[in-house]
This record gives sequence, structure tokens and C-alpha cells, in this order.
Amino acid sequence: MHKLWAVIRREFQARVQTKAFVIGTVLGPVIMAFMVVLPVILNNRETEAKHIVVIDAASGQFGLKLERALAEARRGGGPQAIAKYAVTRVTATGRLKEVRDSLVRLTGLARDTVHRVDGLLIATDEALESGNVQYLGANVGSLSEMSMLGNIVEQQLLTERLERKGVDPVLVHEAQGHVDLKTSKITEGKETGESGGASFALAYVMSFLLYFSMLIYGIQVMSSVIEEKTNRIMEVLASSLTPFQLMAGKVIGVGAVGLLQLGIWVGTAMFLSANAVMIGGWFNMPPEAASQMPLPAISPSLLIVFLAFFLVGFFLFAAAYAAVGAMCNTMQEAQQYSTVLTLLVAASFISALSLFNEPSGALARTLSMVPFFAPIIMPVRYSLTSISWVEVLTSFTITFLGMLGVAWLAGRIYRIGILMYGKKPSFRELAHWIRAA
Amino acid sequence: MPDPVLKLEQITKRFAGHTAVRNLSLEVPQGGIFGLLGPNGAGKTTTIRMIMNILNPDEGRIMLFGKVSTGREHSERIGFLPEERGLYKKMKVLDHLVFLGEAKGVSRKTAAIKAHQWLDRLGLKDWTLRKVEDLSKGMQQKVQFISTLLHDPDLVILDEPFSGLDPVNSQVMKDVVVEIARSGRTVVFSTHIMEQAEKMCDRIAIIARGEKVLDGSLSEIKGGYGKRNVALGFSDGGGKNALAVLQDRTLVSKVDDFGTSAEVELAPGADHGRLLRSLVEAGVGLTRFEVVEPSLQSIFISKVGAEAATPTASEVTRA
Repeated sequence: MHKLWAVIRREFQARVQTKAFVIGTVLGPVIMAFMVVLPVILNNRETEAKHIVVIDAASGQFGLKLERALAEARRGGGPQAIAKYAVTRVTATGRLKEVRDSLVRLTGLARDTVHRVDGLLIATDEALESGNVQYLGANVGSLSEMSMLGNIVEQQLLTERLERKGVDPVLVHEAQGHVDLKTSKITEGKETGESGGASFALAYVMSFLLYFSMLIYGIQVMSSVIEEKTNRIMEVLASSLTPFQLMAGKVIGVGAVGLLQLGIWVGTAMFLSANAVMIGGWFNMPPEAASQMPLPAISPSLLIVFLAFFLVGFFLFAAAYAAVGAMCNTMQEAQQYSTVLTLLVAASFISALSLFNEPSGALARTLSMVPFFAPIIMPVRYSLTSISWVEVLTSFTITFLGMLGVAWLAGRIYRIGILMYGKKPSFRELAHWIRAA
Repeated sequence: MPDPVLKLEQITKRFAGHTAVRNLSLEVPQGGIFGLLGPNGAGKTTTIRMIMNILNPDEGRIMLFGKVSTGREHSERIGFLPEERGLYKKMKVLDHLVFLGEAKGVSRKTAAIKAHQWLDRLGLKDWTLRKVEDLSKGMQQKVQFISTLLHDPDLVILDEPFSGLDPVNSQVMKDVVVEIARSGRTVVFSTHIMEQAEKMCDRIAIIARGEKVLDGSLSEIKGGYGKRNVALGFSDGGGKNALAVLQDRTLVSKVDDFGTSAEVELAPGADHGRLLRSLVEAGVGLTRFEVVEPSLQSIFISKVGAEAATPTASEVTRA
């Protein structure tokens, strides 16, 4: 036990004391913070209103309505919110094509704010009838902008149609009260107060963290085995430590480093989400804007599921990576052999991403019961939807048993592989190593 | 007689294609220095690896400290310096020694105290907190040597301990080895350099091509050869006239000519007096003429044969 502890400590210290660890651990949260803060900052930074020209070729009030509605649109909330659009209306009845073409030539070209045109919205009677309203602009690629614009146009189009059919404008105005779908996730029969966006962001970040940590720490285990083989310290180690002590010590030591790093990251994330307004303040962000940051609330039960699955998943892959390291003599060789493992981790990451839309579908449930996939899939599903504890525990048990199986197999290979130099083993030799007493 | 510290009974190790060690039996008594000699590829390292549990023998058994067991079970009592030296490059010297001490079952605190003592003694005090990779190769060898002895082992097994060492470091290590043997502990070391073994060992075993050729105490072995050898020293340029005399097969049966000195074995029926007379008559300038026991080198060559010193290709692959 004392010896095992010595191996774990050495492995832990050797990793934690490197610059790479310190930089990675510090940079992780910094990048995380930027990922969260940056979109909000960018969103609020644009203070300049977009200049939109409404080309009015429609009869009645459609063009006028559009002009007013656009001019009323505000960026952000609160009393200081600024206008989103500067609007000019050009009447073009009968000469639509000429006006349109001449304005198209101007759009997006002029540098100064007075003459610049960002987009053209064309109001015609046909458009009113068919619902196909045309917008031309330099910013059509921005999905959020277009959807906002679409909303405004749709509303005005409806109003105009209703009024033309003789509906009282006051009535129409009342009926058009703002609708906002507030999403909130339910877990274990309780409201979590977490929005759909935050829940998605959490699942995304989690699957990414799991994917990266399993891959990175798994490969660290492998390269550490190779290092011991190539610098020949293995003989001294093997003469005083059992292969089990060596492998377990290495895997646990590296795992502890991973847990420490993840702990720091998750801790930072929790701190960030608890103090979003304060941190927003550092970036001169108004409190309303800070509350827009997609920061998820991490429940303790999710944290437990996340860490538990990280640990079994890590041990499963790390043991396999250790065995690959033991089989090979150089890092290059090991990289070829470990591609299989790397692909497995990547496959479970990608399938986790593709399951975001259907976290309780048949495929998701099946993959949660496959040891190599469950470590990423299960925590992600758990964060996205409510899953019974029975299912979580079944998945965990299967993964745990799978891990024991892989660790046993890896241990058999490791035992012999660490002292083998020269030729790589064939599959037949590997089978022989596993069977050997 | 007490149990031997180390006893090999009929051990055999086969690798794909050839047998590295065949029916090897050895006994290493308590105390003193035991030399395991043999040409390159003779199976010395394989034998040591089997003792240390790095390889398992296919046949036979290994007894350590009086019971059937392997090196790892006694790791706190055995110090092992492998032929292939290696340390963690990024670790600090002190941390490294403490870790290897712990791997042998020594407590952290004791290991640190011992490490300081040894580093001091071998002149590495200033390097205690430096990384291994900052040390010169010779210094790294010393660190490895310390790790072998840190836990005061009863049995020290050194595989080619002096290879790659400069004379100064070689001397330091030799002194330590002798001191261990004097304190009643046992040292087993392998080498293919006969002069060194001859000076240091109480007992030796010679193996070649995986088989034991000879073993016993050095004095017994030499005594068994009688005083049929003569060591010659030539004055400057005096050696060239000796050639004809030394090639006289009625007088000399074997010559090992070093240029300014030579060791010869007298032919049956010849005597020392006749050899001396012949040399003087031939006008050879002599600085030394001494009747001696055969050197280990000459015993080795005569036993193993020159051809065994160059093993076949298949033997080298798994030396």
C-alpha cells in the first residue's frame, strides 16, 4: 500500500509541477469566461443603428407601418436602450425597379454614417398578399438579425392585412402584445429555473470537457509508460514494484491530476455563474446584459453524475491506453495503435452531440448502456432531460463492470509488455500474453 | 555452513529461437564479492533479470535468503543496478532518490536522510535539488548507484557496474563495493572485464553461451592451474627479439602478447630456467620475469575459447 501510494504521489507531482499543467489550468477558466462574456459584449458593443431604407411601393399604410415599427425597435432592454435602426422611407409607386436598383448600388458602400445604407426592405401589395417580403442587405447572413427583422415585418404585415379587412386598429394593436416563450427545465419533478439555452450550453461544455479530459489524460498515461520504457527506468521499477502497483499507481495518479484540473474548472464555472453580474461589471457590462450570459446552474446531483462518470470513463480509457503504451516502444508506434481508442472517445463525443435533440430516444438509451460510450453520453443526457436514477445506476454499473474488464485485460498486457523491447507484438502474441500465467 | 544468500538450481530461459540460459546452477555464499563473468551475450544479464523477477525462468528455481522466492519479494533487502541505466529526467535528484527508496519499502523520512548522506559522500551535495537532466552522465550514474544502496541492502546485485565510468568515478564505486563486502554483506556483480574481477572478487562463476563453465573461489581456481605461467616485461624495443622464442612450441604452449609485456604458458616438459636462458640468448631486453598463477584473463580464454567471445547472431539478439 505504501509503495502504491509512492507511485501515485510521484505521478501526481511529476504532472502538477509542469508548466503545461499550470498554464492549462489557468487558461481553461479564462477561455471559459471569454466564451461566456464575449458574445454578450459583442452584442452590446454595436452602438450604431443600422440604416434601413423602406422602399414603399404599396398602397395604403403598409410602408408607413414598417417604417414606424423599425424605428421603435430597441437594442437591449431598459431605459438607456438605443435605437436599433435608422429608417428612411422612399415612396416608389410605379418606379419600383429604378429606385431599387439605384439603392442597391449604394448599399453597404458608403463609409460615412449619413449616406450609408445597410439594407433595403421592399413593401409592395403583392408582398402583402403573398407574404413574401423582400429584404436586401449586406447583413443577411446574420441569423439573429434576420429573425428579429422577420418578426417586425410579420407583425406589421398581419396588422395591415387585418386592417384592410376592416378590423378595428385598436383591437389589432391589443392582440399584438409581445409573446415570449420562457423555457425552464424540469429535473426529477422539480423546476430548475434553468433556461433551454443554458441547459444546452451546459451539456455542450460538459461533453467537451469529458471528451478532452479522457483523451488528454489517457494519452498522458500512455506516454508516461513509453517514457519509462525508453529511458529504461522500468527495470528498476519492475524489480521492486509489482506491475499492478505500477499501472494502478500511474492511472490513479494521472486521474487525480485530471480531477484536480476539472475541479478547478468546474469550481470556476460555478463561481462565474454565481457572480455573473459582478464579473459583467468588470467588463463595463450593465446588469441586464450580464443576466443574458448563458451561464447554467450546476446542480449537486449533476456534479456527482458528471464526476462519477468521468472517473469510470477515465479509468476505462486510461487502462487501455496504458496497455497500448506497454505494447509499443516509441511514441510514434503508440500513436498508431492508440488511434482505435482515440476514435472510440471521439465517436462517443460526436454521438453525444448528435443526441442533443433527442436525449431520451432509443439510440441515446442504448448507447448509455455501452461501457465505451456511457461516460460521455450519460452525463450529457442527465443534464438535458430527466432520467430516472435506476437508469443512471444501471448505466454506471455496466460501465464500471466494463472498466474492470478492460483494466484486467490491460493489466495482463501491461505486466509483460513493459519489459518487452524490440518488435511489436502480433495479435497472437497479445493473446498469449493475456493467457500467460 | 549457513544458507547461501542466492542459489540458482538448474535454471533455463528460452527466447524465441534460442536458449539464453541453460541448466545454470550457482551458489553465492553470504558475504564477499561474487563475480559473474562471461563474454558479451553469455546470459549474464538474463540470469540477473531472472533473479530480480524481471523475467521468469522456464525451468528451475531460484532461492534467495534460504527460500524459494524472487527478487521482488525481497526488494527491501536487495539493491539492484540494472545494465540499462535510467532515471526520470524531469525529477529532482532528491525526490528521485526518495521515490526509489519508497519503492523499496523505506519510509519517506528515512529515505530522505539516507539520500542526503549518500549525495554528500559522493560529492553531489550541490545537485540535490537540481533536475536529473541537468546532471552529467557520470553524475547520473552515481545517482543511480546511490538508489541501489539507499536502503542498506543485504545483497547488492550490480550488472556491469563499471561500464561507462571514468577512472575517478570507477574508483569511488569500487571503494563503496569493497566496503559493503567488508561489512559482511554480499555483492554480486557481472562483468566481462577480467582484470577488474580478478582484483575484487572472492568467488567467480564464468558462463558462456548460457552455460556455466567454471565456478569457485578465485584462489582455488588459480591454484588448480599450478604455476605454469610466466609474466614478462620488455624494455623499450626489447620485445621484438622475443618473437622467435615465444613461438617455440616446445617451450611455450600459449602466448598472450601485449607488446611491452606478455603472459606465456610453459609447454609440457619445459621449465622456467630454459625459457629465461632462451630469452637472454636471443638478446631480449627484460624488465620483468616472474613465475605467476595464470591470470583470470588467460583462464577465461582457455576455458571459454576465443570463439565464444564472439557469440553467434542469434545469441546477441536476446543478450
